[in-house]
Amino acid sequence: MTLLFLLSVPVLLVGAALALALRSNLARATATLVSQAAASAMVLTSLLPTLRGQAALEVVWPWPTPINSIAFRVDALGAFFLAWSLPMTTLGTLYAVGYLRPYFQRGRNGGWHFALLNMVCLSFVLIYSVQNALVYLLGWEIAAVAAWLLVIWDYGNQKIRFAGFNYLVSTHVGLFVLVAAFMLLHSETRSMDFAAFGKFLSHPSPLRGTIFLLLGVSFALKSAFFPFHTWLPRAHSAAPAHVSALMSGVIHKAGLFAFLRFTLLMGKPEEWMGWAVLCFGVLSAFFGILYTTTQRDLKRLLGYSSTENVGIAAIGFGIGYLGWAWGVPALAVLGFAGGLLHILNHALFKCLLFYAAGSVYRAAHTVDIERLGGLAKRLPVTAALFLLASLASAALPPLNGFVSEFMIYSALLAGKAPSDQANVLLIGFSAVLAFVGGVSALSTTRAFGLSFLGNARDTELHVGQDAPPSMWLPMVLHAFGVVALGLAPGLALRAVGPVLKLFPLRQASDGLASSVSPLTLAQPLLAALVVSVGAAAWFFSRHARRAPTWGCGYTAASPRMQYSGTSFSEQFVRLFAAFLPSVRREQLPDETFPRKTSHLSTHHFDAVERRMFEMLGQAEDVVAHASEKIPEQSRFAFAAGLVALVIIGALVLGGQSP
Amino acid sequence: MTFLRLLFNLAALLSMPIVLSGVIGRVKSWWSGRKGPPILQLAYDLARLVQKRSVYSTTTTPLFRIAPHVFLVTSLCAGAIAPLLGSRPIASFPFDFVWFAYVWALGRVAIMLAALDAGSSFEGMGAAREAVFAAALEPALFLVAGALSFSGGHRTLHEISALELHAGGQTVVWVLAVVALFIILQVETSRMPVDDPSTHLELTMVHEVMVLDHSGPDLAAIQLGTATKLFVGSSVVATLLNPWSGSGSLLCGVANLGLSLGVAVLLGTVESLVARFKIRAVPQYIAVALACGGVALLAAIWRGGGGK
Repeated sequence: MTLLFLLSVPVLLVGAALALALRSNLARATATLVSQAAASAMVLTSLLPTLRGQAALEVVWPWPTPINSIAFRVDALGAFFLAWSLPMTTLGTLYAVGYLRPYFQRGRNGGWHFALLNMVCLSFVLIYSVQNALVYLLGWEIAAVAAWLLVIWDYGNQKIRFAGFNYLVSTHVGLFVLVAAFMLLHSETRSMDFAAFGKFLSHPSPLRGTIFLLLGVSFALKSAFFPFHTWLPRAHSAAPAHVSALMSGVIHKAGLFAFLRFTLLMGKPEEWMGWAVLCFGVLSAFFGILYTTTQRDLKRLLGYSSTENVGIAAIGFGIGYLGWAWGVPALAVLGFAGGLLHILNHALFKCLLFYAAGSVYRAAHTVDIERLGGLAKRLPVTAALFLLASLASAALPPLNGFVSEFMIYSALLAGKAPSDQANVLLIGFSAVLAFVGGVSALSTTRAFGLSFLGNARDTELHVGQDAPPSMWLPMVLHAFGVVALGLAPGLALRAVGPVLKLFPLRQASDGLASSVSPLTLAQPLLAALVVSVGAAAWFFSRHARRAPTWGCGYTAASPRMQYSGTSFSEQFVRLFAAFLPSVRREQLPDETFPRKTSHLSTHHFDAVERRMFEMLGQAEDVVAHASEKIPEQSRFAFAAGLVALVIIGALVLGGQSP
Repeated sequence: MTFLRLLFNLAALLSMPIVLSGVIGRVKSWWSGRKGPPILQLAYDLARLVQKRSVYSTTTTPLFRIAPHVFLVTSLCAGAIAPLLGSRPIASFPFDFVWFAYVWALGRVAIMLAALDAGSSFEGMGAAREAVFAAALEPALFLVAGALSFSGGHRTLHEISALELHAGGQTVVWVLAVVALFIILQVETSRMPVDDPSTHLELTMVHEVMVLDHSGPDLAAIQLGTATKLFVGSSVVATLLNPWSGSGSLLCGVANLGLSLGVAVLLGTVESLVARFKIRAVPQYIAVALACGGVALLAAIWRGGGGK
């Protein structure tokens, strides 16, 4: 079994090599797809017992010093993530074959792109299984660099190069923080093995808190939590649709996985850690969803919604931490289960949303909400799937997003905290989550309603064909997952059950099953009612009379008079103007018969990003001023450098005490 | 007994919405010195609309035809959970009020999407307003439900609304919950002073402007759905006010229906005496509900010897 698991690595590498070596794009795609499918099948087969809750897969390789040995260990947590990450990446590759076809027809070589997708799979196999910090960092870095190169597929465009560079810098800032945390751990344990880390982390100490914060920041950057999200909307709008989907839905879940991995190593957390995670999650969900309301780029909007959704998952984990720290296993189990399930649910519907947005881009060559409209008549398959996924992402029953949010709500509202104050605080957080749900309904209505319904706002927009089979097949499979996990919450519980057994929480899953069991009846019932009533309404109104939309007495209505994305969110944005700043450029008519042409444009920018760039600019000024003070003569500069070098050398050598 | 409970609840769910909207109409005409339409006016309207054929805009997609009926289904599904007769409803489970809120949201999203489907600027405007009010309203609902749940130590909608008063803190929670729920009811069912259901000016409408293009049976579904929401919401407020709530006796059921009618009378009275707010002031009105919910939650801590 372990051999089968490890064999997936050479299979993926051979696939990548073939993708580079073969001559035609079709052959490259086939090699990649076959190798990924084979690797997924091998990994899943070898992990079947672990997924069922039996023993973990384990193998230790001896390795020369200073590493000594590399341990691979796939427990239920790693198996849970691998079980959907690899197949979803394979589906993303399949989607890429259809999505990139216009580029291939122009003679573009897709070999590198396909090889990189294989490397992403490889990084999953490493990250989700390895127990050694160095190899872990290797996998982390493979994923980061591969994702960067995948993002800049259209490298001829300067904006896309900038977005890619922005991502590369951010992800490496995260890497530095992670390396710092690992170095601290190494200095305490003299080992790079996770088991040794775990031994140190399981005893409360001030250093443990520091390491927890460092790891938290690094993983938050990886998963794009607020306020570390600034790279995300840029990267998601620049990348090809399947890359955005994989980054948002699959690759960046590694941050949350790593968080859970270290949670398990750490053992029982302290209470403040739980509150920190919870507040961080609430903040992320709140600001993530606020920003979605102002976006006009569909893919940027989806990017911000990822920040919201990882925030919701973190709310679950925060309650899990608190429940564990308080010794209330029922609360902890609900929180962790809700968070884990939300990760899977988000991967399912967010990939679907990005794929649908990609098929809009393929057909209309734009994802600007202000220009789109009426796509449902031209792209019916894409529209139906986008609608399904948007409803799921707004956590509306009977789809999957509701199940995980319901679990998180029932943990927040349970009133099981030891003190009244804590209980009231948790209920207050549930109200924030409800607000996030309400705004999310606004945002998804806006995204779907304005791009797919009504009439095209830009009459010059030419809309082509709906997605080819290689693009809609992955979409349909994701949609199937969205519906299945919504209608059968028991299925979802069975998926996360073995992971929960890893946590030392007794009487674990009983309370969980009973809290979700009403939904196993309610969800299918609602779905059946909605579908049957909808089908009947559709059937009986097939031949109804048709007439133009009523213009309220106005007879010369035009598509330009429809509500636009900006006007739809205008009132909401005004309420939250403090958090949603905008720039307004205007040249308004000033005379009775104005001679100059007038124009008005508003643009919403990311406040965090702007402030970050401002601070970087100020820091640059400070450095520039300081460097001006150094005399021009080179020997002074040389002497200063030499002195600095000696001091640094002394510090490094001094630190190497035996 | 269970069968009778189901039967009475179902009968109330299907009949009372019509009576309630008729009562509001009567109260409004009484205040303005008119004779007013019959109590069952809505039933006549529905019968008339169902016999007609729908006309659909050429801009619309099948979504437009499905949405009104989805809205009706969600209203009825939410009604299955609400304590229509002041005690056990048709179905209930722990934290069913979360389900209640999200099922309402599903119906709302369906109507908003149908409004955008018509491609008219007026209907888009209505959808945008509805979305903003709903987003502001959801946290108020959860604050109230959370405060009630925490104060009484219960978890289902019918149990938390049948709050028994043991301590001073609980009275505060109770009063604030009634106020907040009344405001939520006004906003959700688009009554004055938030929305004017009988205005003729599209620019000032919220709910009505979203359904401008619906006709025939579709319009009937929307009207019945809105009336159902009205009754379901009133019944929750009535259960809070009902001194016999939770007992499941005949007296409790009758009292609850009477109190629901009382809430309708109050709604009609407010509607007759108060002018509609400016649209920009509506979020401030919702903020009152939010503040009530927040204070109720804080008061729930101070519950003395009551509760658990």
